[in-house]
Amino acid sequence: MLFGANLQRSYKYMNFASKMPSLRIDQNDLKCKNGCDYYGNPQWQGYCSKCHREQMLRQRRAEKASSNPSATLPRPEQKKPERGTKQASHSSFSKFEEKRLRQSETLAKKANLLKFSVFKKSSTDDHDHSERRAPEFKVPPMVNEGMKRDFRTRFPTLGAETDRDARVFVHSFIMDVMKCANVMSVDELSERVQRLYQRFMKHMDTSQHFAHVDSDTKELLMDFVEKHAMNYLHDLPSVVFSPSGTDDERLDRAMSERIQQLSWVGERHLECKLDRRHAACRQLLYKAISELLGMDSASSPGGKLTRVRRCCRHVLALCGAPASADDLLPALIFTVLKANPPRLVSNINFVTRFCNAQRLMTGEGGYYFTNLCCAVSFIENLTAESLNMDKKEFDCYMSMPASIGGSAWAAALSLCGASREAEEQREAAQRLLQDARNMSERAAALHADAVCFQEQIAKKVEDVLAKTPLEIKPRRELPRLCKSKTAIVTPLIDLELNPTPAEPQTAITEESRPLVGYTVPSEDNSQSSQPTIADPVPNVEKDSITDRINNTDTVQPASSIHELEHTNTAKQGTQETEPKLNILGFEVIEKPSPPKSPQNLDQTWQLKQTSSLELLTPSPLGFTPFDSRSIDELMTPDEFGSDSLAPGLSNINYDIDLSDFSGDNSVAEDPPKEAKDPFSPEGLKKAFDPFAPQPTASTFKEVLDKFDEFSLTDNKTNRTFDPFDVIHRNDPFSPERKEGSSILDDSDSPTTACLLPSPLQPQSSNKP
Amino acid sequence: MAREFDHLFKLLIIGDSGVGKSCLLLRFADNTFSGSYITTIGVDFKIRTLEINGERVKLQIWDTAGQERFRTITSTYYRGTHGVIVVYDVTNGESFANVKRWLHEIEQNCDVVNKVLVGNKNDCPSRKVVVTEDAQRFANQMNIPLFETSAKENINVEEMFLTITKMVLRSKLEMKERQNVTSNDTVHLKRSHKTKKKCC
Repeated sequence: MLFGANLQRSYKYMNFASKMPSLRIDQNDLKCKNGCDYYGNPQWQGYCSKCHREQMLRQRRAEKASSNPSATLPRPEQKKPERGTKQASHSSFSKFEEKRLRQSETLAKKANLLKFSVFKKSSTDDHDHSERRAPEFKVPPMVNEGMKRDFRTRFPTLGAETDRDARVFVHSFIMDVMKCANVMSVDELSERVQRLYQRFMKHMDTSQHFAHVDSDTKELLMDFVEKHAMNYLHDLPSVVFSPSGTDDERLDRAMSERIQQLSWVGERHLECKLDRRHAACRQLLYKAISELLGMDSASSPGGKLTRVRRCCRHVLALCGAPASADDLLPALIFTVLKANPPRLVSNINFVTRFCNAQRLMTGEGGYYFTNLCCAVSFIENLTAESLNMDKKEFDCYMSMPASIGGSAWAAALSLCGASREAEEQREAAQRLLQDARNMSERAAALHADAVCFQEQIAKKVEDVLAKTPLEIKPRRELPRLCKSKTAIVTPLIDLELNPTPAEPQTAITEESRPLVGYTVPSEDNSQSSQPTIADPVPNVEKDSITDRINNTDTVQPASSIHELEHTNTAKQGTQETEPKLNILGFEVIEKPSPPKSPQNLDQTWQLKQTSSLELLTPSPLGFTPFDSRSIDELMTPDEFGSDSLAPGLSNINYDIDLSDFSGDNSVAEDPPKEAKDPFSPEGLKKAFDPFAPQPTASTFKEVLDKFDEFSLTDNKTNRTFDPFDVIHRNDPFSPERKEGSSILDDSDSPTTACLLPSPLQPQSSNKP
Repeated sequence: MAREFDHLFKLLIIGDSGVGKSCLLLRFADNTFSGSYITTIGVDFKIRTLEINGERVKLQIWDTAGQERFRTITSTYYRGTHGVIVVYDVTNGESFANVKRWLHEIEQNCDVVNKVLVGNKNDCPSRKVVVTEDAQRFANQMNIPLFETSAKENINVEEMFLTITKMVLRSKLEMKERQNVTSNDTVHLKRSHKTKKKCC
C-alpha cells in the first residue's frame, strides 16, 4: 500500500518536476517570505506589511550598528561564548568572515547577473534568496530552541557549555552556509561544510568544555550538530538539497523514468535468490522498500544514512544465510528498482556532499550507502550485457510500456502491504480484546468487592442490630410498658390466681376476660383433645415428650370432669407453689410482672417457650399473654423477633391445627374412642366445652363454676363470650362462635391491630 | 580521551565472485567458518581491533561484490580505503587471471594503497590449479606480498590480515611524518591565502 502510494507520489513529483521549468508562480511564492502565512507584496520586497516593517527597523538598526566601530558583528551576543575560548583565532576568523561576506555580496550580484542569462527554474528563487539573505538572514529561534530541547534529552550529562558551544556552532554553520550558498559551487560548498565539521571536531578536541567528554560522545555530538544544522538547511529550497546549479532534479527525473522502464527486471535477471512466493521474503522486501522510501523524508544526512542502513539490513536478511557482498548488491539493486524512491539522485548527492565525510567513509552506514551508490550507478549504466541477456531482448523489454513489466512483483508487494495492514489490524484487534479482557477482569474484581462489601455491611448491620436494640429500646419504653402491663396483666393474674376475687377485676378489664375465658377451657381442650389424638396418633405436630407427659398428667386426672377440676385446682394450687407448670407458671410469673423488668419478661417468655403446651394449645392462655406482651414485643424488637413472635405464630398455627383437628377428627368421631378411653365420652366432649361453659348440662356449669374459681368466674357472668371462645376455636362449626363480642374484644386489644390481626377473626367471619 | 583505538583503517576485499572473500572476512572477524551456510547476518561489514606495536588498530573490512558486471560500478567502494586485499581462488585459474584486472581497477580508483594478493582455498592440494610459483612470480612482478590461505582450515588468514594492517599502519605513520613536514607548508599556504585576501 505504502509502496503504491509512494509510486503515485513519485509520479506526481515527476509531473510537478516536468512542469517546473516553465515560469510559474506558486502560491507559496505569493506568501510572505518570512513564512508567516500572510501574503506578501512585491512593494514590500515580498514580505507582508508587518514583517516588512520589522525588517525595515532591523535593517536600520543594523546600519547603525555597522556604523558603530565597536560592534563588528550584527549578533555579537551569540558569538561571544565561542570567542571566550579561543578569542584570538575567532576574532581573526570573524574578520575573515566579514571580508568574505562583503566579497560574497559583490560576487552574488555578479552571480545573479550571470544567472539571469541562464534560464532556469530555480534562478528566480535564487535571486530572491541572495537578495534577502546576504544582509539580513537570521536563523529562526526555533532552531535554537529545538536544539536546546534535543540536547537536554540526548546528552543529559553534558554541561551547559557544551550545549552552548554546539548551538553556537550550528548557528555559525547555518549562517556560513547561507552566505556561501549563492557564491560557491556545490562542490565548494560541500568542501566548506566538511571543513566546518572538521573545525568543530577540532574544537571539541581542544576546548576545555569538551575535555571530559569521551570520543564516542563526541561523535554523537558531531552527529547531533550535523543533524540540527542540516535539518534546517535541508528544508530551504535549492540550498543544500538539490541545489541550484546542479542537475540533481533533472537526474532525479531521469532516474525515476529509468527505473520505471526497468520495472520488468526481475530477480532472475540479477541472479539474486529471491522467492516471490515466500511470505517472509516478500515481507522483508516490503520492509526494505519502505525504509528506502523513507530516506527521502529524513531531512538530515545522518537520518538518511540510518534509513539506508535499515533498508540494507533487511536486504541482507533477504539474501539468506550466506550473505556476502556478492548477494547483497544484486538484492539491493533489485530493491531499488522495485522501490523507485523519489528524488533518489538528489538524496544520494545530498548525503555525499554534506554528510560528515568521516562517517560516510567508515562504519556500517557508510558501507551500505556505498553499496546503494553502486546500485544506483549500476541502474544508470544498465545494459543488456550487465543483465547477461541478449541485446535484442533487452531492447524489446525497454521499448515495452513501463506499466506492463514487473506486475507480478508489484502485485506481490501490494499483497505484502495488504497483509501487513491486516497484521496491524489484527494486532489492534488483539489489543482491544486484551483490553476487554482486562476490563472484564476488573469488573469481576469489582463485583467480588461489591459482594464482599455487601457481606461486610450486612455483618456490621447484624452486629449493630445485635448490640444496639437490646440496650436502648427496652430502657426507653420501660416505664410505659410497665404501665400498660400492669393495666392489662394484673387482672389476669388476679383472675387466675385468685379466682374468687377476680370478679371485680375482670369487670375492670374487659379484654382480659375472654382471654381468661380461653385460658382454662382451651387448655383443657387441648389437654383433653390432644391426649385423645396423641394416644392413637402419636405424630401430633409439635408434641414433645414433655408435652405428652404433661398431657397425660393432665388428662389422666381429667378423666372425669371433677377430676379435671381437681387437677386444675390442684394444678393451680401447685402452680401457685411451683411455677414450673407451664400454664400456671406462666401466669404465676405474670403476677410479679407488674413491676416488670425486661428480665422478668424474658423469663416468662422462656417459660412460655419451654412449655410445649402453650405451643400446642389454641392457647387462649398463650394468647392472652401474647396480647399483653405484644406491647412488649413492640417495644423490644429482639423479643419480638426471637421470642414473642414464635409463640404468637405458634398460637396462630395452633389454632388452625386445632381447628383442623376438630374438623378432621371431628368431635363426633373422636368421642367414641375417647369415650372408652377416658371416663366418659360426654365428659370428654364436654371437657372441651365445659371449659367453654357452652354445654347446657348443669354439671358442666358446676365444673365451670369450679373452674371459674381460677379463671372462669367471669365467664359465668358473661357467658356470651365464654362459650364462643372455646367452641369456635375448637369447633369452627359450632354455632355459638358467632358471638363475636369477645372477638371484638380481642381485636380491641391494642396489639391486635399492629401485631397479629388475630387469625381467629377472619375465620370466624368467613365461616359463617 | 579514552579512545578504544588509535587508528581506524578501512580495508577492502576484492576478487572474483566465489573466491571466498566473505569466508576470509568471516574467519578473520569472527574466527568461524561455515562451508555450507553462514548464520551470521552482515558478513559484508566487519570490524576487528588488533594491536600492533602497542598501537590499537581498528580494522574495518568491506566486502565487495565480485561479479563481472559490477566491476565497473564498484569504484565508490575505494573511497577512503587504506588497503586492498585481492583474492583469487587457487582452484580456479580464471580467478587468478582476473587478478590483473582487479589490480588495474585499484590503480584507477586510488593512488597509493597497500595491497596484498591472496590465494584462497589452499586446503586441497589435489584440486589446486594455480601453482604457488606462478603466483609468487606474479606477485614479485607487481611488488605485492602473496599469501596462500585457507579460510576453511584457518591457514595464514591471521598472518595475511596482520601483514596488510602493518603495511597500512607503516604507510600511515610515514604519511604523518610527511604531513608534519608539510604542515608548515600548509600554514604557509594559509598565510599566503590571507595575504592574498588582504591584497584583494
